[in-house]
Amino acid sequence: MNKLTITNLSKTYPNGVKALDNVSIEIENGIFGLLGPNGAGKSSLMRTLATLQEADSGSITLGEIDVINQPAELRKVLGYLPQEFGVYPRITAKQLLDHMAILKGIVKKSQRKELVNYLLDKVNLYDKRNKSVKSFSGGMKQRVGIAQALIGAPRLIIVDEPTAGLDPSERNRFYNLLADVGKDVIVILSTHIVDDVRELCTKMAIMNLGQIVYQGSPQKAIEELNGRVYRKLVERDELKTYQSTYDIISNKMSGGKPLIHVLSESHPENGFELVTPNLEDVFFSRINTSNVLV
Amino acid sequence: MFKTFFFSELKYTLKQPMVYIFLGVFSLLVFFAIVSDNVRIGESVGNVYKNAPHVITIYISIMTIFGLLVATAFFNNAALRDFNNNFNEIIFSTPLSKFGYFFGKFFGALLLATIPLLGVYLGVLVGTAMAPAFGWIDAERFGSFYLETFVNNYLIFVLPNMFLVGAIIYAIANKWRSTVISFAGTLIIIVAYIISGTLMSDVDNETLAALTDIFGSRTYSIHTQYYTPIEKNTISPTFEGLILWNRLIWVFVGLAILLLSYFSFSFQEKNKKIKEDKKDLQGVNKAFALPELDFQYDKKTNWLQFKSFFYVNFLSIVKSVTFKILFIFSAIILISNLIGGFEYFGLQSYPLTYKIIDLINNASGIFVVIILVFFSGELIWRDRDYKINEVIDATPHQSLISLSAKALSLVGVTTILHVFFVFCGIIYQLLNGYTRLELDVYFLDFIYSNLILYIVWSGVMIMFQVVLNNKYIGYFVSIAVIFIWEIVLAILDIQSNMVEIGAGPSLQYSDMNGFGPGLKSATWFNLYWVLFSIICLLIAGALWNRGVLGSLKEKIIIAKREVSRGYKLLIIVFTVAWIAVAGVVYYNTQVLNTYRTSDEQEVFASNFEKKYKQYENVKLPKVTDAKYFIDIFPEDRNVFVNSKIQLTNENNTIIDSLHFVISETWEQDIKIPNSKLVLKDEEFGYLIYKLKNPLQPAASIEIEVDAKFITEGFTNGRGSTNVIKNGTFLNNFDILPSLGYNSSLELSDKNTRRKYGLKPKDRMPELEADCSDKCMANYLSDGLSDYINVETVVSTSEDQIAIAPGSLKKQWKENRRNYYLYKSDHPSLNFYSFISAKYEIAKRKWNGIDIEVYYDEKHSKNIEMMLDAVERSLKYYTENFGPYYHKQCRIIEFPRYATFAQAFPGTMPYSEGFGFITNLEDEDGNNVIDAVIAHEMAHQWWAHQVIGANMQGGTLMSESFSEYSALMTMKEISKTPMKMREFLKYDHDRYLRGRSAEVDNELPLYKVENQGHIHYGKGSVILYALQDYIGEDKVNTAMRDFLDEYKYMKPPYPTSLDFLRHLEPQVPDSLNYLIKDWFKEITLYDNRLKEARYKKLDNGKYEVTMDLESYKVKADSIGNETKVAINDWIDIGLFSDTNEEKLFFEKRVKINKPNMTFTIEVDSLPRKAAIDPRHLLIDRVYEDNIKTVSSE
Repeated sequence: MNKLTITNLSKTYPNGVKALDNVSIEIENGIFGLLGPNGAGKSSLMRTLATLQEADSGSITLGEIDVINQPAELRKVLGYLPQEFGVYPRITAKQLLDHMAILKGIVKKSQRKELVNYLLDKVNLYDKRNKSVKSFSGGMKQRVGIAQALIGAPRLIIVDEPTAGLDPSERNRFYNLLADVGKDVIVILSTHIVDDVRELCTKMAIMNLGQIVYQGSPQKAIEELNGRVYRKLVERDELKTYQSTYDIISNKMSGGKPLIHVLSESHPENGFELVTPNLEDVFFSRINTSNVLV
Repeated sequence: MFKTFFFSELKYTLKQPMVYIFLGVFSLLVFFAIVSDNVRIGESVGNVYKNAPHVITIYISIMTIFGLLVATAFFNNAALRDFNNNFNEIIFSTPLSKFGYFFGKFFGALLLATIPLLGVYLGVLVGTAMAPAFGWIDAERFGSFYLETFVNNYLIFVLPNMFLVGAIIYAIANKWRSTVISFAGTLIIIVAYIISGTLMSDVDNETLAALTDIFGSRTYSIHTQYYTPIEKNTISPTFEGLILWNRLIWVFVGLAILLLSYFSFSFQEKNKKIKEDKKDLQGVNKAFALPELDFQYDKKTNWLQFKSFFYVNFLSIVKSVTFKILFIFSAIILISNLIGGFEYFGLQSYPLTYKIIDLINNASGIFVVIILVFFSGELIWRDRDYKINEVIDATPHQSLISLSAKALSLVGVTTILHVFFVFCGIIYQLLNGYTRLELDVYFLDFIYSNLILYIVWSGVMIMFQVVLNNKYIGYFVSIAVIFIWEIVLAILDIQSNMVEIGAGPSLQYSDMNGFGPGLKSATWFNLYWVLFSIICLLIAGALWNRGVLGSLKEKIIIAKREVSRGYKLLIIVFTVAWIAVAGVVYYNTQVLNTYRTSDEQEVFASNFEKKYKQYENVKLPKVTDAKYFIDIFPEDRNVFVNSKIQLTNENNTIIDSLHFVISETWEQDIKIPNSKLVLKDEEFGYLIYKLKNPLQPAASIEIEVDAKFITEGFTNGRGSTNVIKNGTFLNNFDILPSLGYNSSLELSDKNTRRKYGLKPKDRMPELEADCSDKCMANYLSDGLSDYINVETVVSTSEDQIAIAPGSLKKQWKENRRNYYLYKSDHPSLNFYSFISAKYEIAKRKWNGIDIEVYYDEKHSKNIEMMLDAVERSLKYYTENFGPYYHKQCRIIEFPRYATFAQAFPGTMPYSEGFGFITNLEDEDGNNVIDAVIAHEMAHQWWAHQVIGANMQGGTLMSESFSEYSALMTMKEISKTPMKMREFLKYDHDRYLRGRSAEVDNELPLYKVENQGHIHYGKGSVILYALQDYIGEDKVNTAMRDFLDEYKYMKPPYPTSLDFLRHLEPQVPDSLNYLIKDWFKEITLYDNRLKEARYKKLDNGKYEVTMDLESYKVKADSIGNETKVAINDWIDIGLFSDTNEEKLFFEKRVKINKPNMTFTIEVDSLPRKAAIDPRHLLIDRVYEDNIKTVSSE
């Protein structure tokens, strides 16, 4: 059984921003969702896990591998799709994946060939295998990125905002693929889209301002909010008053009017109705602790 | 609207550092050139001030080429910024005027592009102020400040050039919206510039070259090619003549491009190519299974990864537009150079492999540098640029593998370029029917001179990029190291090749001597630099951190933690190896074989002079007999000499001590009977021996000198090119210590002398009539010998032939070595050579004289022609001047380290670099190879039979006479007089160019002080014209009479006045003015044909009317010229063809007014008319002497 242990990981950028603030997580096989708003430190954490960034302090182990001191060892079992995935110009999808397969240590040509074909098929690009990747659309490029992350037999797969730019069907395809491989390995899915996590992950963490503000199963998190989330359609100019009185966790427009969710131990009355909490409520309630309108 | 964009462009760019960086760079470059004599941009020599208008203009025109890069950046940015920031949609959706937008930005960029070049002015002003103040350069070397130099240069060169370049770049940028293509445009401009430059190498195309030069800089140099120092110091460029036309042409071209671009400019976004995605084909999917995977992380994996990285990187360069453009342009340059061939005074060399190699290295040089600099940054940063770095970085490969693959792909790409060039070269050779291809030479030259350099630069530049952590800083430092480091070293006076990256002695392949004496040293330096490059790469590999960029400090921390022990060991092993090699190189180049830097040499020379000049006039005996025993060991490059020299006191006073200066490169041991060494100065090699029995007048003494030249290890530079494996070439001055104070060791440049507090060097003694004392020395042996006999026993290795002066009396073998005994047949000047090489010999007998050519087996083509030329010379000279006193006449080939031929008594060493390799197959009769032979042969009379006293005018009777004699042998076989005009043109040009670069004051011909442009150029032109005016036999009679009077005579030696004494009786009274004008004063003609018309007469004849303008100009010694009244005989003539080959009418007329009209009646139709049609007279602008004849 794989186990990724992150202990007291901290990183402060020279400009004073605390990207990681004493982060500790344990992750086991399966898809692990890392949820957080933009700038929460997700990418910093991902990069640090992928041996691409130094941490100031703390440790990371994957099984027997000390990630920080043995980056080369980790790289052998890592599949990584960064947030921004670009490609070389003038190189075909097949060439690129073959190159990546070599870099990952697959020395047998026949194996590489089969593997590349298999992956291209998996991401539905087999027919375009001899096309220059540069000419691909954003979604197709992203699929190449996914394919390369799966090369080899990664024990740890890190995907950072993978569904950006994918259309719904591509997204589904990708999730199926991820669910497929995620059975036996650790997959860390970093995203700011709550639905992704809800659909895929058994375990999750929510990050904000460099800290882990929640860690556990999505289900459990939702259960914790059971009976505490109320909603109400209000007028725009009333928002301010509501804000001072209630613990608003989110507000979004519904039919041109703000629909607010509030967190309350007892029924706030006043036209509020109890709702079944969803992951979004969890997300906003975790990150919006200062009670600002988001 | 215009204003808004104009100023916003200025504001934006002035906030960026770039403009200031380049302003600074230009200022500094020029500043260094002004304040240091070690840095030379353009020319500031002799009497030309360091801040002369001419010099500043040269700076401006050179810097314009660098300015091109800046212009590209500014104009490209102006056109593309909005697009690159994806701002275009916002800006272009607002209502704005196209005119204002387009031109506002353009003129903003134009103004900005000229700012960096103002750095030239800044550099000049600051340099001029600081250099004298700090005592770097003497105040005397700076002239007045001319505001118009600055203003005119800006208006004539800077602004129009930036306008033209800007228009092109701006148009390209607006059209294609790609920085790469804009820079390609810059390259096109550079290539166009170079091509117009190759046109200029052919003298006849000057006007075309002047007009096609896009920057007008060659136009300027053509315009000013005959400028005198005074003109250079005072005249600023103005809009006139070719400069005006050139500027007009190119500004109009620029304007046309700009307007074209304006009218095709549109705010619409360029249509993005939208390729339709084919629908994913369904159903054809085979079932793919995930295979079993074997992972392996060992050497094999490394190798595979290395290959894959190499392939990906190599491909990325080869497929890139930039590379393709660079490739094509360098190929264009090479091919255009190949087509131009190997011109030498109108003749073509055979396409020898080493000639092709020289061309390849010239053509590829700058492009290789661009490729290495540009792509080193590109490869290092491309993963980041394409945002694939994180993926690649997170794979289990070693950074070193990736970096060395990048380095190797740089090497691979440059190698491909080179191989392609070699291929072109070989094709060219074959097309010319030349089949001696020498693939081994191509290959070895590639290894020695190119591949190593590619490896070194690749490693070093990759390290720069990695360590500096920023692509552009990396570029800057790379370029700085390539170009500026050399300048810094020059300023610091460091000449060791160990500190200049990639440096080593230059190799020059010679058919005779292969890669030559520098090969051993070059090999060691190559090893030294390759190891250095590997260490750089290893350091880069250790510091190359993955993922997020860290500072250098962070990189070092990470490296310390992560670099494996094996890797550290690797670094240590290579560092140790490098240090070991460095030790060997240091020991050989700095300890075993020392050298002086240029500053040290100056100090040495000035100290020598200060210490020993006091002995300059010590009475010395003369060398009166010499016997040499010389053993040459070509393989070891050693020579051992034992010589017995007879010295005779020809003074009328007693000599009690002998002074010598011994050589620095030869070990010389002097044995003088009954003497005592009273002074031995180790530093300067100055020796004084006191004689126990002083030498009485007319008494002789025999001294013995043991001299040896030993080659040990290798040197910082190429080493001696005299003692070599095949083609050792020594003369007696190399072997023997110099007798008495040696004034040739003194510093000569007057400015350098001033720096060391020395007075300008004494000029030659002034010409004196009826001299006695001062004519006791000739200008060659300087009173230390006259005509002597020489006997030589010379030995060399078994496979070589050794040659010494005189007839070969005996030849034998001993100890598997060849021995020769040579004896001179007639006393000759104490000036002769000893040569040893593997030779073929061609012989011919002419009137009892052995004509022999000693040549390399590869160079048999021209031997017959050379024998002919010698025979022809012997014939003309014996008939016209007198007998030849040697029994043999030898031409001896020596390697091409120098390109000259030189006349020693009876022998003529002749460089392999010309003559032997020149293609004479299609030449009929006279050519320059004949001319050189004829000139050197003439020296057997003019110099070796009679030689001038060591005073002004001395070289008239040797060099001018020889050049004249050579012209006469050529005239003899010339089919048309116009062929001679072609030859004379080189002599005219030589004189006019030479006088405009005159370091000292110009002197009239009869007072020439050993200045080449006067005694060769002017002397031959004057004597040739003279024989045309008074008759060949008259001139020859004068020369012969002069020769008869002084032939092989003991001193006093004759002067030019003695020759004029013989000449005067031969000149008719009507032409007496020629002696004054041509010999005794400096006279130039300013002739032009204003108009020529013809009219067909009723009798079928043609009446031609010519309007002439003619001035005679007298120049004083510093170039001031004054017009004087003309009253001269000058030819007028008519050509029946436009190529000026058929001169069917010629008449010598008296010109006594500045403007005259002549009417002539001729039988056939004239095409062109001319004043002085055969170009006999010295005329600064000859082209205007000839005009097409128009009908009335």
